[in-house]
Amino acid sequence: MASLAVFFMDSRLNAFSSVRTALSTVTYSLQVIAALPSDMGDWSSEFFQTRDQLKQENTQLINSNRLSNIRLQKLQGLERENMRLRELLGSSFRLSERVLVAELLAVDLDPFLQQVVIDKGKNSGIFVGQSVLDATGVMGQVTAVDPFSSRVVLLTDPSHAIPIQINRNGLRAVVTGRGLGKDLSVQYLPYNADVRVGDVLITSGLGGRFPTGYPVGTIVSIDLPVGQAFAEISVEPAAHLSTSREVLLVLSNTKPDLIIEAQVNETESISLEAE
Amino acid sequence: MAGQQAQGGSIILLSFVFLMVLMLLPLSDSLRFARPEFVLLGLIYWSMALPQRVGITYAWLVGLMMDVLMGGMMGIMAFSYAFIIYMVLKFHLQLRQYPLWQQASFIFTLVLLLQLLLVALSSHTAGSHVFLPAVTSTILWPVIYAILRKLRRSFNVS
Repeated sequence: MASLAVFFMDSRLNAFSSVRTALSTVTYSLQVIAALPSDMGDWSSEFFQTRDQLKQENTQLINSNRLSNIRLQKLQGLERENMRLRELLGSSFRLSERVLVAELLAVDLDPFLQQVVIDKGKNSGIFVGQSVLDATGVMGQVTAVDPFSSRVVLLTDPSHAIPIQINRNGLRAVVTGRGLGKDLSVQYLPYNADVRVGDVLITSGLGGRFPTGYPVGTIVSIDLPVGQAFAEISVEPAAHLSTSREVLLVLSNTKPDLIIEAQVNETESISLEAE
Repeated sequence: MAGQQAQGGSIILLSFVFLMVLMLLPLSDSLRFARPEFVLLGLIYWSMALPQRVGITYAWLVGLMMDVLMGGMMGIMAFSYAFIIYMVLKFHLQLRQYPLWQQASFIFTLVLLLQLLLVALSSHTAGSHVFLPAVTSTILWPVIYAILRKLRRSFNVS
């Protein structure tokens, strides 16, 4: 029992990361097996879709694509204007980041940890601290990288914080998770701060970990408890944390050597160009 | 005897692989907290039936795998499983004599103990949901027991 205690203490000091990497190649195969039934379900529901359904979906997609294209053209103009203004100000601004598309593995981890597993790892150039997005907003960041898979800690994890700014007025703050399906909260904003219900929060890019300008969430309620120094502000995450299957990993310029290593066929650049 | 000792090690291992997959299968949000502790039940059965094969070290190694699988801090599950199997080994002769429902109540205590250990050691929060896995594990124990005994007898694991 004494040796067990020693091992236990050792693990707290993170002396086992190499063991963990070795074991995780084994456990990855287990996770893939566990994900098989739901993958099969997805596949068969796709396979047995009727022609009408597909047609309907196709029309919907074409419509939404048309709408997005129109918005994109407008955005392009704004982007140019923004760049021009920024050049006038003399500040640099990265226009586009390259992203890598990964898929979530359908496995349940410890329900008390707000983590998910994705099917890309060190071999695809993933690194610890990389930001993870879905189609609607920021999901979280990578905490552990194994050869074939990696773990993503979600915004809702109580130990996770993300620097944000309010889109309306540029007010900077920090958003932390509260765990277990609860909303996020904005920390340390005084009573008189200019916040309103419905304000959209975007990443501020401070701290150098998350790229600038991606949506984090929307303020749903502001509470001013008596006798406390700060307001209690809850935020609904913009990303569909529990339903998204495809995620995007941002290859920001902070790790240029890794970007070169990443496979080119899997990367796409989000450049705002109209075709 | 020595030849028989080596028999069926792969069966035990395979049963644990299967139980670990059961631990990972996606469930709906309301059911997630009620997931029975499949791997622990397997460990309890094997250590009860074959204490010379599946002991504290085996439990510790399985627990380490679970730690990596679940993404928690390394060593928490390993320590908890080893501790519980230590209790089982202490009482395994009595446990074998008990009728199934009495075994099941012992299982309830052990799984509850595991949950409390996890609350004490890791990020689990205390609350009424601590009892859920204990209840479901207790209900499932006769099934696991029957299946694993069938497995042990038909493959002559000793």
